[in-house]
Amino acid sequence: MSSRDDILARLQAHAITPEKRPEMDFKPLAFDNPVEQFERILKVAGANSLRLEPGQDVNDLIRTAYPEARTIASNLPGITCATVNPDLLDDPRALDGTDVAVIRGEFGVLENGMVWVKQQTRYKALFFISEALVILLDRRALVNNMHEAYARPDFDDFGYGCFIAGPSKTADIEQALVIGAHGARAVTVILE
Amino acid sequence: MSSHAKAAEKFIADRERTAWHDQALYFVREKRDRMAQGVPEWEALREMASRMKRHTISRLGYYLEMFERHATANGVHVHWAKDAEEHNRIVYEIIQKHGGKRLVKSKSMLAEECGLTPYLEARGVEAVESDLGERIMQLMGTPPSHIVLPAIHVKREEVGKVFERELNTELDNSDPTYLTHAARKSLRQNFLHADIAMTGVNFAVASSGAFVVCTNEGNADMGTSFPKVHIAIMGLEKVVPDYDALALYVRLLARSATGQPSTTYTSHYKKPVEGQEMHIVIVDNGRSDILANAAHVNMLKCLRCGSCINTCPVYRRTGGYSYSYFIPGPVGINLGMLKSPEKYAGNLSACTLCHSCSNVCPAKIDLAEQIYRWRQDLDGMHLASKEKKFIDKGLKFVMERPSLFYAAIKAGRTAEHMPRFVLYNRLDAWGIGRELPDFAPETFNALWKKGKVKE
Ligand code: SF4
Repeated sequence: MSSRDDILARLQAHAITPEKRPEMDFKPLAFDNPVEQFERILKVAGANSLRLEPGQDVNDLIRTAYPEARTIASNLPGITCATVNPDLLDDPRALDGTDVAVIRGEFGVLENGMVWVKQQTRYKALFFISEALVILLDRRALVNNMHEAYARPDFDDFGYGCFIAGPSKTADIEQALVIGAHGARAVTVILE
Repeated sequence: MSSHAKAAEKFIADRERTAWHDQALYFVREKRDRMAQGVPEWEALREMASRMKRHTISRLGYYLEMFERHATANGVHVHWAKDAEEHNRIVYEIIQKHGGKRLVKSKSMLAEECGLTPYLEARGVEAVESDLGERIMQLMGTPPSHIVLPAIHVKREEVGKVFERELNTELDNSDPTYLTHAARKSLRQNFLHADIAMTGVNFAVASSGAFVVCTNEGNADMGTSFPKVHIAIMGLEKVVPDYDALALYVRLLARSATGQPSTTYTSHYKKPVEGQEMHIVIVDNGRSDILANAAHVNMLKCLRCGSCINTCPVYRRTGGYSYSYFIPGPVGINLGMLKSPEKYAGNLSACTLCHSCSNVCPAKIDLAEQIYRWRQDLDGMHLASKEKKFIDKGLKFVMERPSLFYAAIKAGRTAEHMPRFVLYNRLDAWGIGRELPDFAPETFNALWKKGKVKE
């Protein structure tokens, strides 16, 4: 017998009494002022947020937020401040040393500051390797909690996707919080 | 003396360090409490999570097959391993097939359980830990002392010394930010030049074939971004039915583990990217036997969040190395007993039956109740006399020292609850006034004397 069949047979032989799937019997966390709550919770997660107001140019916002940036990587149309199109690189390693990456988020989660990003570039390395990450997000695309997040009809439509909540962090040395473990040291969410 | 008590002696000899360790863990516990209080439906959420696990466990084979079917359709290679040996062999064969030499891995308790790193190193494959805490422990040459906070027992000066030696950091610089960024710089090279990436799996979603990996550092995602091969390993209890079920656990995990609303990165892997190969190894290694053990089957609900460890008064004051099983604290006491009572019964003494673990567990596992049951069961094993003796001895020690005994009573609980604990700890370190809900209604001593208890 293959290990697979052997394991499945053991699970069958040892099976416990079938238990019904529970129904949700509570009302999960919800928020009255989505944009304000999202800005507040992003701060908790260590991220910045900026509102893009009508008439403003997103490129100016990015430039003002990261005036020192020399390399800005993005494949998004309209991001004219980009100095590199990451999709034209032959090797994701070439992204090492990128100052700012600009990507698009699908929706944000109000209870925890996560933004759902799907792989949209040739290399997902872009999400993690740059020193700073800018996520563009439609401010109407905010859900209250994880139940709503996973219930979005198109949620399963991804090959790779990640909920990102703020910059990379660690507290592995004496529980002292340090920003910038391996991924981006700063995250700015631009609410369009 | 029990194996735990003996090992703990060394740790608690350094009173200052004991207090520091205790505080560090309690800090995490308090963060968890604040998070729980911020979610009005917290208790209902735990209840539903627990029942969803029970449901899943009752249909494990069904959901695993569903996961396999979908993952395979997504282009992922699915492997099954009966035990640690088979798991290691499968992983090594994949590496060999690709001529891999440099593996970069994110934290996985399963890899630890299977002894994967030494197995690979003996075969010429370098396996670099990329989680900062795990990397510190790897460079120090000692195992992690906690499942979520691997280096919680290590002081910054000690990290500084190791990094001086291994990463050429400045002399006597033990600033956590400086050291973390030195590790960032050094591990960046490992990420860029690894040929195999390995991650654990926090959740495997049966309905879609996706699997979820949670980190704060981004090390799992950095690791999987460059090599051509990604191997993910999972214990078979990691499967969840679908996204609705996953929502429960994602809400609970980080809040319980480190007191954050979520981890920084909650990564969902479903299909290999162009040019990459993705493998999943589903591991049994004793889990299907736990299923047959009615008194302890709830251990299969465990999310490995570590919150029962953080809250455990004995763990906090004795450290992870006092336990003989590689997972410490209430979860480790129970999993150790399920692995081998002969080897790990010595950890049973590391419990005051304060039930704090059962009260924080996001899957509502009856951890303390199970430890109590194991103690009762020792009667039926040939281990009874040996293990009983140490508990009696602890009690005797307390009884012969009235000041200790009365101080214990003043602290609001009776010494009988915690023979080993009283024996090895200063009373001022008891956590008086802290949240230690639901004490056992009868003293441990009384229950012990009665022999079998009615449940
Ligand atoms: S037993 Fe419960 S509290 Fe302990 S690690 Fe597992 S899920 Fe977390």
